[in-house]
Amino acid sequence: MTPTTHPAGTEYPFGPMPPHEAAEHYHRIAADRPMTRMTMPYGGDVWVLHRNAAARQMLTDRRFVREPFRTGERVVPYFVEFPAFLRSTIQFEDPPQHTKLRRLVQTAISPKRVRQMRDSAAAFANQLIDEMVANGDEANLVTAYNVPLPIQMLANLLGVPAADHEKFERWAHATLAVANMDEQERARNMGELYAYMLDMVAKRRAEPREDLISSLANARDKDDTLTDEEILPIAMILIVGGFDNTANFIGAGVMALVGNPAQMELFRTDPDGLAPTAVEEVLRHSAFTTGRPVGGGGGLVPFVATEDVELDGQLVAAGDAILVDPTAVSHDGIALPDDERFDITRKDNPHLTLNYGLHHCLGAPLARMEMQVALSELVKRLPGLKLAGDVVVDMDNLTRPVTRMPVTW
Amino acid sequence: MPKIFFTQPDATVTVVEGQPGDSVMQTAVRNGVSGIVGQCGGSLSCATCHVFLAEDELDRYPPVSGDEDEMLDCAATDREDNSRLSCQLVLAEGVDVHVTVPPEQL
Repeated sequence: MTPTTHPAGTEYPFGPMPPHEAAEHYHRIAADRPMTRMTMPYGGDVWVLHRNAAARQMLTDRRFVREPFRTGERVVPYFVEFPAFLRSTIQFEDPPQHTKLRRLVQTAISPKRVRQMRDSAAAFANQLIDEMVANGDEANLVTAYNVPLPIQMLANLLGVPAADHEKFERWAHATLAVANMDEQERARNMGELYAYMLDMVAKRRAEPREDLISSLANARDKDDTLTDEEILPIAMILIVGGFDNTANFIGAGVMALVGNPAQMELFRTDPDGLAPTAVEEVLRHSAFTTGRPVGGGGGLVPFVATEDVELDGQLVAAGDAILVDPTAVSHDGIALPDDERFDITRKDNPHLTLNYGLHHCLGAPLARMEMQVALSELVKRLPGLKLAGDVVVDMDNLTRPVTRMPVTW
Repeated sequence: MPKIFFTQPDATVTVVEGQPGDSVMQTAVRNGVSGIVGQCGGSLSCATCHVFLAEDELDRYPPVSGDEDEMLDCAATDREDNSRLSCQLVLAEGVDVHVTVPPEQL
């Protein structure tokens, strides 16, 4: 089959280019077509969605499923080999099993519950800043702030007792890309974490508290068909999804503000008031504010069509794989005016970075709160915050974590 | 065609025409109505499409289900007696809807 050729200036994927050019390139692609068929390094072909509206349509259409990936029947078409342990999590389930599992935790990580955690998040953020300042006038923000804050908040949410936080942080680090541990040590830490979680589940089953492990432990009251083997991976995916990604986005927020002095100035005038919209804009636009060129070719986890579906004029055939490029759909030139501009005051931000539909990020309320608190407390306490050296990214990792972000104040 | 009247926290009113069978949430999102997020796409798993339904229209809709009730407890803006998740309010021909948008969804 001859590959489709696309009009000049709409190639996809595309190599890194200056942000302004990349934005125009994304606009041209979305103007030309809603999606591009791409052959991935692993797993074959996949449709990549560029338009925000079409992506929302796909993400809310139950005819797109993940089962073939979960069973291993299909290799996940992706940039890297998809880790097998991730394929056994809720992310790869479909209804009705997906609904059963999600229902166990969605009230525990709700907007309301997370609001109740806000004060303790702010207190911990300030504690971290106190330590940074006490240790000198320069720090690696990644290890001093971006990573410890999400770990602490998740430990609190799960219900890990304060006495166990240090152990928990060590184990959680092992799941993190920033750890750069050797495989044996990582496996040992993950094994210890899993055993610890199983033990906590048993304890909370006997004596429930108001925490997430208790919700998980007593899930069998709600649905006695669920086993610990099905429940535990939920805790694991929260840990995996909740650290790297959140830490990266906190860092991305710092980079975006430090790189946009006018927006930083604006943010300083009302950090608490502007934090919610600022965070949504970081989620939308941070790929463009790293100081590095922007390429095109990212994607959220794919789906498979169970029947022929027409999306925005393009036929997606039964059996085709499809995914959303989160950077593209935030810069399609259609969903948002002036999408090239970093504007922390935007209301009703249409980004899809936390996904949408059934599989929208389980930890979204927590991630949002953490980002808001992390950025507003930092800016309140360290108004002179700036970069003090080069940012280092670990490109060999699924989540492309930032490992060094030297800052001074 | 059923019309939806969205009253914003600042008292401005947006009027949108909808399709019978669509939900208030879908209609809001499709028409760019401010303040309704609907992150889960209508699967009762996010509580970000919260609205206050006009008191005299409450009995036009099936009562709050167990799942909706549980999620309403999770909404960012505290629920009131007339709170609904707008993904569960399905439009019917000839039946207009009046809702107030809460100040916070996330």
